[in-house]
Amino acid sequence: MRRWPVIVVAAAALGALSGAAAYQHIVPRQGEQQGELKGSWQEIAWSFPRDGWPAGRAFRCRGASCSDGIEVYVRPKIGFCNCDRGVADDDEVDRVADLDLLSERFTPIQAGDVITVADMPGRSRAYDLTMTGGTRHTAIGVAVSRRCDLLVAVAHGKADAMRVRREALALLGENEMTRWVMAAMEGR
Amino acid sequence: MSGRLKLAASFAICFLASPGIAFAQQQVIGAPPEALNMKLVGTSDLQARSAYQPTIHHQGDRWIAYIGHHGGSDEIPAPLNPQTGKTEPNGTSIVDVTDPSQPRYLRHLPGQEGKYEGGGAQMVRICDGRALPKGDRNAVYMLRTFGGEAHEIWNVADPANPVLITRIAGLKDTHKSWWECDTGIAFLVSGAPDWRTRRMTQVYDLSDPAHPQKIRDFGLPGQEPGSTGAVPTELHGPISTGPSGKRVYFGYGTNKGGILQIVDREKLLNGPKEPTPDNLRSPEIARLTMSPFIGAHTAFPMPGMPIAEFARDKDGKTRDVVMIVNESILNECNEPRQMVWFADVTVEKAPMMISSYTVPEASGTFCERGGRFGAHSSNESMAEVFYKKMAFIAFFNAGVRALDIRDPYHPKEVGYFIPSITAATDKRCVKIDGKDRCKVAIQTNNVETDERGYIYIVDRANTGLHILELTGPARAVAGLP
Repeated sequence: MRRWPVIVVAAAALGALSGAAAYQHIVPRQGEQQGELKGSWQEIAWSFPRDGWPAGRAFRCRGASCSDGIEVYVRPKIGFCNCDRGVADDDEVDRVADLDLLSERFTPIQAGDVITVADMPGRSRAYDLTMTGGTRHTAIGVAVSRRCDLLVAVAHGKADAMRVRREALALLGENEMTRWVMAAMEGR
Repeated sequence: MSGRLKLAASFAICFLASPGIAFAQQQVIGAPPEALNMKLVGTSDLQARSAYQPTIHHQGDRWIAYIGHHGGSDEIPAPLNPQTGKTEPNGTSIVDVTDPSQPRYLRHLPGQEGKYEGGGAQMVRICDGRALPKGDRNAVYMLRTFGGEAHEIWNVADPANPVLITRIAGLKDTHKSWWECDTGIAFLVSGAPDWRTRRMTQVYDLSDPAHPQKIRDFGLPGQEPGSTGAVPTELHGPISTGPSGKRVYFGYGTNKGGILQIVDREKLLNGPKEPTPDNLRSPEIARLTMSPFIGAHTAFPMPGMPIAEFARDKDGKTRDVVMIVNESILNECNEPRQMVWFADVTVEKAPMMISSYTVPEASGTFCERGGRFGAHSSNESMAEVFYKKMAFIAFFNAGVRALDIRDPYHPKEVGYFIPSITAATDKRCVKIDGKDRCKVAIQTNNVETDERGYIYIVDRANTGLHILELTGPARAVAGLP
C-alpha cells in the first residue's frame, strides 16, 4: 500500500504552501514597514502608553526641510466617526485627532481646512501646544473618515504651522503611506 | 483500506469538516429560537424597521409599547408602511400590547429622513398628563427625538392618532434622554451647536409640555463653548432618581473612554447655570473613570440594595449600586469586549467596580455568527416586579440575557432568549481583503419590561419586537407565580 505516503507528502506540501502564503500576508515586505519614505523621514517607535485604541505608526523627520524636527503619529480609529456626517467641523478634529497624546493643553491657532488623505475626506487644524515643562510646539491635527471609521494623525514640531502641516500632509500622501492607510482601515 | 489509510482519511475528513463545525451556530431562517428559562409570548415585525428604545406604558386599561427607530438602511432608506401604502422614514412604532400574545400595530409616526443613526427617532419616554405638575390631565405625553435635529412632545392619549404639541429644535445631535414624570424635569441628550461635543445635557422643565422652559446646559468641563485642550468623552445618557433619590447618574462613552458621573440633582437644577468650568464641576459628587476599552451606554442606579452576604455585618448591610452597560459597536468582535459592570457607590466619593458579567463567547461561537456581539443596554424600568432583583441585558447576537442581581457582587445568568431570524433580518458585514463579507444574525439592541413582568426586546437588524416571559427557576428569582 503506497498511497498513504503520497497523501502525507501532499498534505505537508499543502501545509507548507499555505503557511508560506500566510507568512507573506502577515509579515510586511522589506521596506514596507520602514524605509522607502521620501526626504528625511524615518519610522520610530510608538512611544505612548496603551489607550483605548491600538497603537499606530510614528515617524520623525530631521534635516533642513523639517527645521528642527517634526514628528507624526498616525492610526486608524475604527468605529469612532459619525457615519453620515464624517469629520464635519473643527470640533471633531479637536476631539479625535490624538493631540491629547502629546499634551492635554492645546489651543487652536485658526479655523481648520478641508483635506483628503488616501481619498478620504476630512479636516486638519493647527494648534499651539504646551508640552510638559512649558515648552511650546506647533501641532497639526488631522482627521479623515470613511463611513464610520476614522484615520487620525497628529504632527508636532518647533517649525511654524504652515511648514509642519505641509510636511505632515506630504508624508501622509506618499504612496507607501497610502497603501498602509488603506490596509489599516480594513483591519489588515 | 489499511489502518494507516483510514487514519489519513479521518484526518482529511476532520480537516474538511472543521469550517462547517465552526459555523454550525450561524443562524438560519426557520430554525427555532434559542432559549433558557425564557419563553416567546408574541411578536410584531415593526414594519422591518431597525429598533432602539422601547417604552411600555399602562394607559387606561391598555398597555401600549412605544418603540423608537434608527434611520433606514442603504438598501431600504424608507420602508413601506402597509397601513398607509406609502414608504416612510423610520420614526416611532406604536403597538397595543394589552394582549402580549397578539400585539396590534397601531401607528407608525415617521421620523427624520436619513440612514442608520443619521435619521429616525431613536428615543422615546412617556408621561401621563395627570402625573406632570402642569400637564393636561387628559393627555398622555410622548417625548421623542427627531433624528439628531430636535426633541418633540406629542399627545398620544389616542395612541393611534398622536398630536404634535411642541418641538425643541436646532440641535446637532440627540440621544438617550430621561424624563421625570412627577416633576417634569427632563435631562435631554442634545448637541447644542456651540458646544465642543456631539452630545451633552440640556436640562428642561417640561412640567407643562406645551411650554418647555430651559434650565441649563451641562457637560464635562472641556466640552463647553470656548474651552480649549482635550475634549472629554461625549454623553450617552443620564438616569435620575428624582427629588427623593437626589442624584443623576450620567453615562459617558459608547465603546471607549467610559465615565460614570454622579451628580447632585439639586445643585444641577438650582446652581449657577453659566457653563463655566467651575459651574460644570460644582454639582459633580464623584466620577468613576473606566478603562478606555469600554464605554457607558446605560448607568442604572439601584440604591439601598440589601446584600444577603453582608446581613450580619454591623455596617454596610445595604449598598448603593449602579449597573453600567457598555455598548458594542463593531461587528464580529473587532473591539475589546463590551459587557456589564456593577459599581458600589455607597461611599459616593469612592465609587468602585465590584463585579462584571459577559456572555461566554464559546457558549454560542458568537464572534463567528455575524453582527455585533457584546452588551448594548439594559431595561430601565424601576417597577417593583424586577427592580433590584433581575436585570435584562440586550446582547446583540446573543439575544437578551436575564441576570439574577440580588447579590450584585456575584451577578448570575439565569435565562436567555435569542430570537429566530426572519426574511426581514438585515445582514451585517465586515471587510475581508477589501471586500464585504456579510452574515445574517439577530441583533437584540434594546430591552424593556412592564409592571406585569413581560420583557420586550427589539432588534437593530430589522427583525422586530419579541415579547417574552420568564419560566422555571428564572421566574422564581423575580418572585413571580
